[in-house]
Amino acid sequence: MVKSTSKDAQALFQSLRSAYAATPTNLKIIDLYVVFSIFTALIQVVYMAIVGSFPFNSFLSGVLSCIGTAVLAVCLRIQVNKENKEFKDLPPERAFADFVLCNLVLHLVIMNFLG
Amino acid sequence: MSKLLIFLTLIPLLPILTTSFSLENPSSRRVLVLLDDLALKSSHSVFFNSLQSRGFDLDFKLADDPKIGLHRYGQYLYDGLILFCPTTERFGGSIDLAAILEFVDSGHDLIIAADSNASDLIREIATESGVDFDEDPAALVIDHSSYAVSNTEGDHTLIASDEYIKSDVILGSKKIEAPVLFQGIGHSLNPSNSLVLKVLSASPSAYSSNPKSKLSNPPSLTGSAISLVSIVQARNNARILISGSLSMFSNRFFRSEVQKAGSPTKHEKSGNEQFLTELSKWVFHERGHLKAMNVRHHKAGEADEPTIYRVNDDLEYSVEIYEWSGASWEPYVADDVQVQFYMMSPYVLKNLSTDKKGSYFTAFKVPDVYGVFQFKVEYQRLGYTSLSLSKQIPVRPFKHNEYERFIPAAYPYYGAAFSMMTGFFIFTAVHLYSK
Repeated sequence: MVKSTSKDAQALFQSLRSAYAATPTNLKIIDLYVVFSIFTALIQVVYMAIVGSFPFNSFLSGVLSCIGTAVLAVCLRIQVNKENKEFKDLPPERAFADFVLCNLVLHLVIMNFLG
Repeated sequence: MSKLLIFLTLIPLLPILTTSFSLENPSSRRVLVLLDDLALKSSHSVFFNSLQSRGFDLDFKLADDPKIGLHRYGQYLYDGLILFCPTTERFGGSIDLAAILEFVDSGHDLIIAADSNASDLIREIATESGVDFDEDPAALVIDHSSYAVSNTEGDHTLIASDEYIKSDVILGSKKIEAPVLFQGIGHSLNPSNSLVLKVLSASPSAYSSNPKSKLSNPPSLTGSAISLVSIVQARNNARILISGSLSMFSNRFFRSEVQKAGSPTKHEKSGNEQFLTELSKWVFHERGHLKAMNVRHHKAGEADEPTIYRVNDDLEYSVEIYEWSGASWEPYVADDVQVQFYMMSPYVLKNLSTDKKGSYFTAFKVPDVYGVFQFKVEYQRLGYTSLSLSKQIPVRPFKHNEYERFIPAAYPYYGAAFSMMTGFFIFTAVHLYSK
């Protein structure tokens, strides 16, 4: 078995970055949006660990709104990706309309559960 | 015409004439006294007179009188029964073992005095009450170390005992100085019966045996396990007194001077009169009979009783407890009355404070649990009638608009939810216009 070195890891990251640079811009924006939601969710989990779980419904709705947003964004990304042959017949406008509708429902539920 | 007039004036008085013992006013009670021999009426007159002077209406009958009966037309004629008939094998009239047990079961009081050669009937009544007399019919309680000194040496069956139960409510607050004279049969308590209590027990050196025969086998009853006088308070608060000696009630024993063997003091008068008078006061509910009334509860700061409480409400609970003193209801003073806020198990158990005028009160917070609760007072103390009060009350959770709306600790979560919404708007705009 070949011993792995830090050089291998560097080479791995290099190839990953160069491969990602080829991604279309609209997919990169979606990725940024997903990272933002996940990060917000993590902040809330850390906050809950520090101050305790007292308004538990508020905590759940805060975290679930982030997770839900991230999941919906990932779904949108799958559907608008040109490389993805599975959704070849689905127009990206239709995918975006689904995304907006789902987000509206999600935030309606979150608002009800928050207070 | 005048007869009719008298009759008409008497009709409104009828309800007054027929009132019997009631919880509200347990006075003017009628007691049936069954005797073997009417001579007992004069030989035990001091005991009977003390009862009569306290307002009891005694009805003396021979035990085999064919006309005696405890009830007529479905109503009891008497409130108490005294059986001074140790040798009676069968009662006259309609009275038998079952009738006497039913009499007690319906909340009436009973005094039984047995003696050596007690009949099977008396033994059976005692057994049903939770005590077992010595099975040897000729047996007497003998004590060679704490007998009562007399002129003749005798067989030491006349016992002077001062081993009383320690209870002010049963024997009165005044200490009984002189020992109590006892001559008769001993009994033991049925260990499975938790309601029966020894009031006067024999000394550790006593034993139960036939004094005329030689002691061949070890006696079946020995020492302090022998009870001389026992009491029972049934669950329905009926009270029973069981004594193994009829002569301890007699004028001769009441008046006799007493000196316990080995003790230098000679008492002018035995303790029998005080002991039995106080004990009869207890048996006939002149002492230790409690009643509770005016159970009230309300939210702190309000006066009306609500139909429902909310979790975490502050409430106040109060109850009044009185003790019957023989003539009137007196405030009962104790510091150990407790109230439970109970739903399958007590969630709150609090001592009630008293104003010494009969009122007991406390305040507490409803626990953070909703359901159907009860206020419970279960008060069972030696010698007192048991109090068992319960009052049901539901407890509801917060209504949705009774919760706090904006909690500072939840602001980060609110912020996250709103930032997700604004993020959604910005993303939408960027996504649509980035092409």
